[in-house]
Order: sequence, then C-alpha cells, then structure tokens
Amino acid sequence: MKKVMIGNHAVSWGALRSRVEVISAYPITPQTQIVEALSEMVAGGTLDASFIKVESEHSAMAACIGASVTGARTFTATSAQGLALMHELLHWASGGRLPIVMADINRAMAPGWTIWTDQTDSLSQRDTGWIQFYCETNQEVFDTTIQSFKLAERLDLPAMLVLDAFYLSHTSEPVDVTEPEVVDEFLPKRESRFRIDTSDPRAFGALVKPDAYMEMRWQLQEAMRSVPGTLREIEDEWEKLTGRRYGAIEEYRSEDAELLLVTSSTITSTARHVVDERRERGEAIGLVKMKMFRPFPTEDIRRALAGAERVAVLDRNFSPGHGGIFAEEIRSALYDVPPEDRPTLFGYVVGLGGRDVTPDVIDGIIDRTRKAEQPERADLWVGVEL
Amino acid sequence: MSDRERDVAKPRDAGREIPPIAISDRSTLVNPTGSWKYIEPRYEDRVAPCNAGCPVGIDIEGYMYLIGLGKVEEAAELLLRENPMPAITGRVCHHPCEDACNRASLDEPVAIHAVERRLGDMALAAPAPPPAEKSRSERVAVIGSGPAGLACAYHLARLGYATTVYEAAPEAGGMLRLGIPEYRLPRVILDRQIARIEAAGVEIRTGVRVGRDVPWSELDGFDVVFVAPGAHVGKDSRIGDAEEVDAIRPGLEFLKQVNAGGRPDVGDHVVVIGGGNTAMDCARSALRLGACVTVVYRRTPVEMPAIPQDVKEAKEEGVDFIFLAAPTVARSENGRFLGLECQRMELGEPDDSGRRRPVPVDEGRFTVIADTVLTAIGEDCDLTFLPPDVQTEWGLIQVSELGESISAPLFAGGDVVDQPRSVADALGSGKRAAVGIDRFLRERAGEASDALDVTGLRFAGDGNISAARYVHDDPIQRESPVNEVVTWEQMNPHHFRHAPRHEDRYLSVEEIRSAFAEVNFGLSEKEALEEADRCLNCGVCNRCELCLIFCPDMAITRRDDGSGFDVDLRYCKGCGLCAAECPRGAIVMTREDL
Repeated sequence: MKKVMIGNHAVSWGALRSRVEVISAYPITPQTQIVEALSEMVAGGTLDASFIKVESEHSAMAACIGASVTGARTFTATSAQGLALMHELLHWASGGRLPIVMADINRAMAPGWTIWTDQTDSLSQRDTGWIQFYCETNQEVFDTTIQSFKLAERLDLPAMLVLDAFYLSHTSEPVDVTEPEVVDEFLPKRESRFRIDTSDPRAFGALVKPDAYMEMRWQLQEAMRSVPGTLREIEDEWEKLTGRRYGAIEEYRSEDAELLLVTSSTITSTARHVVDERRERGEAIGLVKMKMFRPFPTEDIRRALAGAERVAVLDRNFSPGHGGIFAEEIRSALYDVPPEDRPTLFGYVVGLGGRDVTPDVIDGIIDRTRKAEQPERADLWVGVEL
Repeated sequence: MSDRERDVAKPRDAGREIPPIAISDRSTLVNPTGSWKYIEPRYEDRVAPCNAGCPVGIDIEGYMYLIGLGKVEEAAELLLRENPMPAITGRVCHHPCEDACNRASLDEPVAIHAVERRLGDMALAAPAPPPAEKSRSERVAVIGSGPAGLACAYHLARLGYATTVYEAAPEAGGMLRLGIPEYRLPRVILDRQIARIEAAGVEIRTGVRVGRDVPWSELDGFDVVFVAPGAHVGKDSRIGDAEEVDAIRPGLEFLKQVNAGGRPDVGDHVVVIGGGNTAMDCARSALRLGACVTVVYRRTPVEMPAIPQDVKEAKEEGVDFIFLAAPTVARSENGRFLGLECQRMELGEPDDSGRRRPVPVDEGRFTVIADTVLTAIGEDCDLTFLPPDVQTEWGLIQVSELGESISAPLFAGGDVVDQPRSVADALGSGKRAAVGIDRFLRERAGEASDALDVTGLRFAGDGNISAARYVHDDPIQRESPVNEVVTWEQMNPHHFRHAPRHEDRYLSVEEIRSAFAEVNFGLSEKEALEEADRCLNCGVCNRCELCLIFCPDMAITRRDDGSGFDVDLRYCKGCGLCAAECPRGAIVMTREDL
C-alpha cells in the first residue's frame, strides 16, 4: 500500500506496524505530529498500546524505561531541548539495556531560539550508548523504524532514528507502507531477557561496585560492536520481504572518484543531484552517505574512503572548540589507513540552524576543495558573513 | 601477560557470571531501607469541616464515604443515627455544612442537603427498622413535638429509654407543621418522618397541653422532663391601633392558619414586616393566595436573617422588597385601612448583635398601600404553662451544655434555650439533652461512666455531639482519629477533578403562584449519588490508595479486611511522599520515637 505522507507520519506508521505497546512522549515542535498521529491511532483503536501523557521529556523517557523493563515494546519521539532534557535517562536506558526506539527530529539547540534543523541535538548524545540512524527519505524513515525495533531487541540496545526538521519531518513523499502480516513476520513480539517479575522480585539499576561495573560496560561495548553484522542480517531479511535496503553507509557513484563527498540526512539527496551533474561533465566525483553514526561504521568508512584523493565532509553540526562532528570522527577512523591511501580530509560546517544547503552551496564546496592545496583549518565554515 | 597484569585486567572473582545490567540476584528485602529514616508516616483521620459545621452533629463525611463504597443503605443508617428526620432537614435546613465545605476552594461546595434529602427519602421508602430494646427502667417525658422534642425522645429511645412526648396541638411536629409552609415541607413527608420516630420507640400524645389539659403532677412518674415548647408568640409590632387590628396581624398566626389548610382573604396587597424566615414564609404564602406582596425590612439584604436560598426563591416568585425602611404608623381613611407609613433608614453603629443599627433618615417618609400587614419581627416563647418553681430568664430557660436546667430533673432545648432558632439547632439541642439525660440518670443510678468528655463527643470539639461517638462507635472505623478540622491548606488538591455541582430542580414560577405544591424537587437518586461522589472525604482515608501507589519503597500494604493500610517501617525510609500526596490530609509525618 502506497501512501503520501510527511516524514513525521512515516515514523508514526512505522511504529504502528511495529505494534508498539507503550508510547510516552511530551510534545515539541517539530516532532509533535509523530505522537499526535499515534495518539489518534491509540484512541481510535487502530493501535493497541498505552499512551502515557507526561509533564516533561525527562518523565517521558522515565516512563519508557519503566515500560520497557516490563517487557513492552516502547516508543517515544522528541527534538532538541527535549532530547537534552532526557540526557540523564538516555544513560539509564542503555545501561539498563532497554531496546527503546526513539525518533529525534533534528532541531538546532537554543539559544537563539530556533525550530529549524541541525544535528547538534542528537550528536550531543553521542556517548549515551544509543544506536543512531540518520535518515534521508520518508521510505527510509518508515523502514528504519521497524528495523530499529528488531535490531534494538536483538542486542538489548536502545536506538534513535534521526530526521531533519521540516526538510524531512514536514515534507510529503510517497511511502510504501508494508502490510502488517509482512512486518509481523519480520518483527515478532518482543522477548526480553530481563524483566520485572513480581513472583521473582529483583532490583534494577541498583548499586554496582568497581569489581563489576567495567564488565557491564564491556558487554555494552560488545553489543555495540555486534550492530553492523546484525544490521546486515536484518537488512538481508527486510530486503527479501520488501526489496529495500540502505546499509550503515551507502556509496553513490564513488567508483574511481578523486573527490568524495560525505553527507548525512537530507543533504545527501541534494548531493546526489550535484554528483550526477558533475559525473555527466566527466568529473570523478562521488558520494558516501553515512546513515549510521553510532556505533561508528569504522570499517565501512575506511573501505569507502581509502584511495580517494580528497574527501569533503559536510557537517550540519559542530562541536564548539573542535569542528564538524562527522568530520572529526571520520578523520579519526582514517588514521589507521596507510598514508599512501589516506585522502586529504576537508571538514565543512554548513546549514546550521536550518540554513538551506542548495546545489550551489555543494558546488561551491566541491570547487573550493579541488582548488585548495590543503585545508586552511580543521573546520571550514561555509556561508558565514560577518 | 604476567600474572600481575592478568589480575589487574580481570575481575577479582574470575569465572563468575556478571549480568549485562545491574540486577540484584535476589529480592531487595535484604536491604532494610527503613534504617535511613528519621521521620515516619502515620495515618491520622481528621474531622471534615461539614461535620463540624452541622448544628445537628451529623457525620456527613461518614455517610458520603459509605455511599462512595456503594453502601447506600448503611449510609442512610449512619445518617439516621445522628438525625431523626433527614427527609425534613434535607428540605428545610439552611445547611451551614455547605458553607463549611472545603470543596468550595476547588469549585463549588457539595450539595449536601440534596444528598441528605435523597437518603432520607430512601429510608422512608424502606421498611422501618425495629425499635431499640428498652434496656433502661427510667422514663422520660418530653414536652413539645417539634424538632428538639422529637430529637431528644428519639435519641433517648435509641439509648433504651421509654419516652413519651406531649404535644398541645392536634398533630405532632411543632413548628415544622405549624410554621413551615407545605411548599417547603410536604405534609406527607412530615407525617411519615414522625411515624418513623414513633416506630423507633417514641410514644407521642397529641392534643394534650401540660399544665392545662393534664396537670404537671401527671408527669411525676417520669424521671426526667425535657421541655421544648417552641416560640409561638409573635412579637408585637406596636403599629396600628384598634381599628386596624384585623388588617395588621402577626405573621406566625397567619402561617398557622394557612398551614392548617385555611385560605384567608388577605386582599390584593400584602405587606410583610421583617427579614427572617417567618417573613419569607408569610410573603410566599400570601403570594400563593393571589396577593401582590412587598417585604419591608429595616436593614439591607446582607443583614437579613432568613435563609439566603429562601430569599432568592421569594424574589424569583415575585415578592418585592423594600430595604432600609421601617413602618411607623398605620394610615386609614374613614375607617378604611390604606397602608403603612414608613420611615427611610440608614445603617449606623453596630448594635449588641454586631449588626449595624438602622437609624432614621430625615425627611425620608413614604407610604406603602396594603390590604393586610403581616408582622414577622420575631417570636417569643409562652412560658406560662411552666410550674412556678422553674426558673426562667428573659423568656428563656437557662441550660448547661447538655441541656440541664438548674431546675433539674428538668432539661430544655429548642427555641426556649439561648441558641440560634433553626430546625438544625433544635435537633442538635435535643440530641445534646438526650446525652445529658442519659448521663444524669446513670450518675443518679450510681453507674460508672466511661464516657468521653463533652469536647470529645463534639465534632472537632465545638461542633455538635455525635450519637455514635457517645456509644464509642465509629461506623466507618477511622484510623487514629484526631478531633480537629482538616483545612483546605492541609489537603492536596492536585488529585481532584473539577466537577460541577448538581443544582436542585424547581417547579416553574408559573406553576407555583397558585398552589402550595412542593417547590423544590431536589435531585434524582442518580444525581444525588453523583453529587455524593463529589465529596472529597476531607481528612479521612477513603482507601484511594495513592499512598500505596506513590510509595517508592513499596512499604505500604493494604490490609486484607479493607480497613486501611499498614506501613512496613522496616522499609519506609521516611521520604514523606505518601503524606504529601494524600489528597485528604489523612497522613502525617512524625518524628520517630517521639
């Protein structure tokens, strides 16, 4: 069944098809439409779930944690300041190994007060132990929502799927909404390893002494390390059922490229267009889309980028005092590539606070990268006029 | 790798299985978190303000609680323990309970009167319960079958005494029958309620005026006499002269005539003098006889002693009011009464009652035309029937808190003692006297008394006496009760939902003007139960279980018999959440070992 829907509703439909059992959320622009649609599905009886209204995002995540500990498939959605308010509990969710799935609609952090997109909100939660997927299209959003539950529940890890505010969240596209029986086959009811059981009462999240804490963190890290392999298996299965797959990263016309663009989220679609034009003109320019940011797909990135002459990373985010966050992580991943295969990396900071990244902007970045001998600095800001 | 490196790298209990999450391997009962606390919660029920504000001393909160449990019959039973005539007070009481209701701070007070009325009517529809066993040998005579006399006799009968009520009028009821018009209190309700009091073991002898029809010596066989004759003599207005005597008449006399079925010709224009309940009853009765009615009152609406609801109803029915005016002389021409000349007044300094005294305004004279003037400026008691050795003062009998006069074994109550003149206050004085008489007789019989002091018997110390408390019983088994009113500030409003008050339904104004049919229909059974559901059960645990839900240590458990909750102090860490969340202020935090 194909339906035209906005990105936010692609999330709602993904959650519906995943048969989530508990939803707890607090409204925030530009996320609200996700849980609004879900609340209507619950109220109308289409979705058999508990919808827990709360007074803050901190409580929303707390409610999700409580629900997830009981074994329920649990979902929430938020943005920006709301995600920041959840911060403490994001650790509780991952440390408790709870497979909660959350949609974060990327919205720049205030102040100045803003509702437009950039990725600093989700990337600020880099170290909380959540899987992170940055989606490009509404179809990918729908598919990734369902896949995230399967992946999260297989590995007992929470997962965050991330969408650009407005460019994706509020933009309509056709989405092939997979039939329920297909999704049910792909994603059966959750089975949890640990859950609250009143006949065998235990304490969850209690004091852990130094002689065991590291072992728990090690197991968390091992689970994260299993994500790429497990994701491949899950995507194989999904592809068999629906014909669609995305990968942790995607290489687009990157064969023999001298210059590779690295993008994430909706900037990728614009970059595809620019790459097509440049290829038509015979220029050896390709594209690598990074969908998965945590765990970091180090092996995939090394393989994709090694051998290119230059790499231009487009970051719609930055870490004050350092640079674009994707660029810094990619730079770190490339350190182990032998010097003769290691590309020169140009890290561009673009489109903060929702500023449009047009084909002209990307063309400018390509020209600037090709002309330069070396990057002038680690973070190259695009379009800043002072 | 050296052994040392291996030791550092590996956990000390190598080989043990460490789970991926922090989960205990057994129940946390091994951790007595109660050792952390220095304060602990205690369930302490307090007194709801309605109970304290009720002159009858009804456990309103208690019956609301029972209705909440679906125990409607038990609720009616509890009500009847404290009030012999709920079908009557539910209709005519000025319900100060509602003025005290904490719910007013949330939205609107609970319509307690309507719930009481419905319970009273339901009890009348059910078979009468058997009378109490006559366990006492003493006998009590009661003079007067108004609310005070009937209440005293009823409560004494429940305490096991044989009681006989003497009523001068042909039918029992006192002012309920003689003074209150039928449109406020249908006679069928009055008759059935009195029949119920008789069925409870009270003997009523009507048409017998003690001191005239039978001598006082006939009462010698009784151990105690309770005197409650009521106030039946209208105060003299001192206006008019002999010529106008037919046109100017005491309002109470008019009311008695109408209430007995008479339909006197009052002409087209009736003026009622006064601002109390008698004035309102006169005005509305005259209206029903077809007259245009004007009430002349010397103060302002604020100072009117009448029940505000009755004033409102009178206005809605079409009664006119002239405030700040006092009649001075009757005007007549050629022997024909024309009306009253009145003096404009203004409010001056407060008088002894605390109300501002009206003083004349210069040049402020005007005339109101009238065919009949009904004076309703207060009533006095006729005490001429009393034996000469009974002491009276200012036309009243002085009594103790429990109704005992210095001429014991003579007790008194109702309008003949110094207290507000309302049905509820009369019922309350009858109950107090019943307790006083029981104590008096037991003391005289040399029986040990383990009764609480009177303050303990009264709701919150200064409300009226609870008959249930007097027999050491609490029909709803309150937990560690503290005899203090719970204030709104002591409660937690955040768990209450707003809900509009159910308003009584009325006969339309068109329907009432020519008939004496009951004006107020009250609430349906369903509406009354919904209204009872609005009760917040102030100060009393109603098993809402919020404490149990909020306790982070799961230290609160429900008792198997449903009588309440226990706090497991081994695990309560004294956080105080239960006390903070309790909507009713029924949990307090106390210092451990103090």
